[in-house]
Amino acid sequence: MENLLSFSQVNYFYQTKKDEIFALNNINFDIEEESFSSIVGPSGCGKTTILSLTAGLLKPSSGKIVLDGEEQIDSKKIGYMFQRDHLFNWRSVWKNITLGIEIQKPQNKEEKLAFAEELLKKYDLIGFKNKKPTALSGGMRQRVALIRTLAMEPKLLLLDEPFSALDYQTRLSVCDDVYDIIKTEKKTAMLVTHDISEALSMSDKIVVLSSRPATVKDTLKLSLQGETPLKKREDPEFSSLFDYLWRQLSNEEKGKET
Amino acid sequence: MKKKEKKPNFSKSHKLYVRRLRRDKFIVIFFRIFVLVAFLGLWELLTYYKVLDPFFVSSPSRIIKQIGTMASNGTLFSHSWITLYETLIGFGIATALGYLIAVLLWWNEKVRKIFEPYIVVLNSLPKIALGPVIILWVGAGTNAIVLMCVLICIVITTMSMLSAFLSVEEGKILLLKSMNANKFQILFKLVLPSTMPEFISVLKINVGMSWVGSIMGEYLTSKAGLGYLIVYGGQIFKIDLVMAATVILCILAFAMYYFVSLLEKHYGTSRGKG
Ligand SMILES: Nc1ncnc2c1ncn2[C@@H]1O[C@H](COP(=O)(O)OP(=O)(O)OP(=O)(O)O)[C@@H](O)[C@H]1O
Ligand SMILES: [Mg+2]
Repeated sequence: MENLLSFSQVNYFYQTKKDEIFALNNINFDIEEESFSSIVGPSGCGKTTILSLTAGLLKPSSGKIVLDGEEQIDSKKIGYMFQRDHLFNWRSVWKNITLGIEIQKPQNKEEKLAFAEELLKKYDLIGFKNKKPTALSGGMRQRVALIRTLAMEPKLLLLDEPFSALDYQTRLSVCDDVYDIIKTEKKTAMLVTHDISEALSMSDKIVVLSSRPATVKDTLKLSLQGETPLKKREDPEFSSLFDYLWRQLSNEEKGKET
Repeated sequence: MKKKEKKPNFSKSHKLYVRRLRRDKFIVIFFRIFVLVAFLGLWELLTYYKVLDPFFVSSPSRIIKQIGTMASNGTLFSHSWITLYETLIGFGIATALGYLIAVLLWWNEKVRKIFEPYIVVLNSLPKIALGPVIILWVGAGTNAIVLMCVLICIVITTMSMLSAFLSVEEGKILLLKSMNANKFQILFKLVLPSTMPEFISVLKINVGMSWVGSIMGEYLTSKAGLGYLIVYGGQIFKIDLVMAATVILCILAFAMYYFVSLLEKHYGTSRGKG
């Protein structure tokens, strides 16, 4: 498969009044089309920074980011889903989902609206179309946020700890839902997470980062068996991989303290 | 409002709950009216039996009589209208202009930084001190009164709205930016709609402030209006006139507040930041 995204020798510094924060140190990785990749790393290491760079919200201090064969990032190709759902409570569910379409005013607007409507139907939210987001549960809100992201038909989905606000049970089922939606819609996704088992159960590839300034410590290719993330957790290899990743990350956390 | 949607087949405990709510509401309303009636009754009695001198404190019956005479010779309406007119114009200009300035200051950070200290100073300045200057600039009369009213409301409008605009969640702005939204879209799709609750509370504050402004303006310079009646009544020791004008003022101010709170109910459902 082709690479949809590649980072080569990317450095990033945050500028503040007092000093310069070295966030990313020579980051290299590739994301293949229709793959699901996860980025794990200690907190504050620069995971969100990588997503912001990919979305074009930040420009690399040096190095090259190529998205879909272009160095100039076209934000229409990116769908960014944040940790918080950021639904607008004064808009109905439908108006929230079509926010991106409203902003980008694409030529094939009618098609996109029809597609959004279809997504709502497919993922059991059509009954809430005209309700305000306040009427939804946390898991439903997260699904609405995902549909809002998908409605613009991005090539690459960026997910920044999208499940961390949910309780454990909901988290597992929303994880399955989201995974299913992303696979059905044949999207490429890049997930940032703190949760090792979440990363293992969802991804084809895991990029492990060191503590700040982040470098790529390891890139794991996975082939766990199972239809859904929940099933993948039952793969015999799962626990040894979990141990391996856990040790790598806890080394990093320890390294950070000293 | 929401109760009407649901079918009324609730459990017994719910019925009890609703009944208790109703009873509590009844008690509140009853005592509210009781306080008013008791106050007016006591006032009337004390002045009737000359415990208090009605020449100094007036009395409910004398106020009603005064309002009656003013209503029959038409002065009630003309004076009220003048003050109401000044207040509404001042309120409208101050709110619109103050809001617009807040938007401009939100838009441009440099401009905001430049003007910040001036706004703080203007806010703490007692506007009445500008009275003589205002009269020199725009002349005595309606213009001066409206200007006084505008000055009193505008700074607080700008300050409140600006701080509301600036406290819009950064993550939501980032979301729109990731959708490639421009600054106009961020303003109209996010910043303005999400600060609607703050806008309504500014409106409520301005209702009160604009009456302060117009009455203060009329104290300063006027030939008619409720503020004028109050000053005039005070000078010729007609306390009935002062009280009557004050009562009318209360009623008008309350009516205006009521309209704003209707607006609040209308937008109430879309309130809240998620
Ligand atoms: N706007 C900013 N200005 C200055 N420093 C920043 C800024 N944003 C992030 N940083 C710093 O850069 C580093 C990386 O931040 P980033 O948000 O990418 O980390 P993260 O891995 O996403 O962390 P978390 O796991 O807590 O979400 C952090 O140490 C942070 O303090
Ligand atoms: Mg982060």
